[in-house]
Amino acid sequence: MSQNSIELRGVTRIYRRGGQDLRVLDELDLTMAGSTFYALMGPSGSGKTTLLNLVGGLDRADAGEVLVGGEDLTGLSDTELARWRADHVGFVFQGFNLLPVLTARENVELPLLLLPLGRRQRREQAERALEMVDLGDRMDHKPRELSGGQEQRVAIARAIATDPEVILADEPTGDLDRDTADAVLLLLQRLNRELGKTILMVTHDPQAAGYADRVIHLDKGKLGRIDDNRATAGRS
Amino acid sequence: MALVPLRYNLRSLWVRSSSTLLTVCAIGATVAVLAGMLSLQQGFVTLFAERGRTDIAVFLRKGATSEGESGLTREQCAILTKEVAEVQKGDGDRPLASAELFLAVRRKKADGGETNVSLRGVEPLTFAIHGDDVGIVEGRNFQPGSDELILGEGLRARFPDLRVGETMQINVVPFKIVGIFAAKGGYRSEVWGDLDRLGEALQRPVRSRVIARVPEGTDLAAIQTRFADDLRVQPKVLTEAEYLTSQTQRLSLTFGILGGFLAFIMGIAAVFTGTNAMLAAISSRTHEIGILKALGFRPFAIFLAFQFEALLLGLLGGVLGCLAVLPLQGVETGTMNQTFSEVTFAFRTTPAVMLNAVAFAAVLGLIGGAGPARRAAKMMPTTALRRG
Repeated sequence: MSQNSIELRGVTRIYRRGGQDLRVLDELDLTMAGSTFYALMGPSGSGKTTLLNLVGGLDRADAGEVLVGGEDLTGLSDTELARWRADHVGFVFQGFNLLPVLTARENVELPLLLLPLGRRQRREQAERALEMVDLGDRMDHKPRELSGGQEQRVAIARAIATDPEVILADEPTGDLDRDTADAVLLLLQRLNRELGKTILMVTHDPQAAGYADRVIHLDKGKLGRIDDNRATAGRS
Repeated sequence: MALVPLRYNLRSLWVRSSSTLLTVCAIGATVAVLAGMLSLQQGFVTLFAERGRTDIAVFLRKGATSEGESGLTREQCAILTKEVAEVQKGDGDRPLASAELFLAVRRKKADGGETNVSLRGVEPLTFAIHGDDVGIVEGRNFQPGSDELILGEGLRARFPDLRVGETMQINVVPFKIVGIFAAKGGYRSEVWGDLDRLGEALQRPVRSRVIARVPEGTDLAAIQTRFADDLRVQPKVLTEAEYLTSQTQRLSLTFGILGGFLAFIMGIAAVFTGTNAMLAAISSRTHEIGILKALGFRPFAIFLAFQFEALLLGLLGGVLGCLAVLPLQGVETGTMNQTFSEVTFAFRTTPAVMLNAVAFAAVLGLIGGAGPARRAAKMMPTTALRRG
């Protein structure tokens, strides 16, 4: 198994709401190759975000195994999971999820605080990540001083600052207009192609899914079909 | 363990400035009450403690707890002034010992109402015993054997009718006020005059106590034991420092208990305010907690981050409370001491008082913040992110 591959074996996740069990993921088996850009699609309630949270170590499966880069997340404690997240995963969310009181640079530095780095090294790494997303001139701006697209690029810079093997994106273009969304998607595509990051992106938007190498369809907690965009002519 | 950067907490407090200010004010008010009571207690304790000397022995009637309760006949006083070998000698080889008469009389205060004023009949040797601790600052000293009085400077502001040149009626005898004296401690709130003349005017044939200069470290218990079987007089002997400390204990304890009680009641309210402020902060920042946890910050780091904010609120409240009390520094007030006479003393907001008050505020902040911080630490990242 490659260092940044993702594997789910018989994963079940049940939410208990209003006294009833809601089986969000139902004995799901799925293998995702490393250094590949995946889009995860499906109707609301199909379990997309739940799957993303399980792969990111933000949530725990009720049954089955979640392996990322060969490491089984199901056996890790909360503290070990927190440490694992800091080392191996970068998150990009729909609402950008930047801390409003910190500048772009400080936001990007946040995950770097979890690594054994000196202050200067941290700063340099954060600046490098921001330059990679073309925000070298906005480092000292707070989120409210940036446009939506710029905020999402800061979030991407934060996600790649620690050089994780896997980037998880939950509707990263949901709050953006078409042009800005395209720019963000191109950026994610570049991170996959140039840096070899494994990207798993939840989206409702077929156009956004078109940027991925493969599109996984979920339905009612079960795996549907998997489309291979690379085989499709006219792919951007 | 990586900690959440402090600037995140500092800026968050700044962004929520209204809520921060309200919480700081609530804690500040509580701290001001505590610091005020501690300052009063400190002023009261210092008033007596700074005067208390260990080279002056105080002889009281056996069993008496204060000079107001004590009574010694002239003969007993003569025995104590002449027959105690440990007493040091002054000019003309006379023992540095003198009898004193103490009584409280009612007087009107400047702000209305009445209170007791301490009258002390003293002998010329009293001044030699006290040395530089007692000195005339206005007018002159009274003439021995005359109907003259001198006033402690602490009484001036509280009794406007007591001035140099005025007359003070004691029973039917008019005494002329001829001077003002400065002294440390409780003596500065007293009126002094000739022992025999005051005794006569007050129709008090007995004396209250004898004071004497003794070398430092004199075994006063040994003197007391020596007189234990003496049928003429069986005194209680203690140093002036011990005597004054015993006189302040009860009131000092009262100040402490009162301050503690008020601080406790107000502290509960302040803790609730702190808890409420932190709950509001956490509620409005649930999403941010989710982000921090998703990034990999551990639950304990989140707990510490919010406890730091609570601590900061407490410390700011503590500083505000101390600042509120500082203008009272040196302001004089008065109260009854254990001999039921008026003593004046000042608020003393010492560094120790401020340190205690700020520490108290910090504890209030930490207690108030603990619950909400724990709640923040225990949040599941997915739940916290969803609530954004």
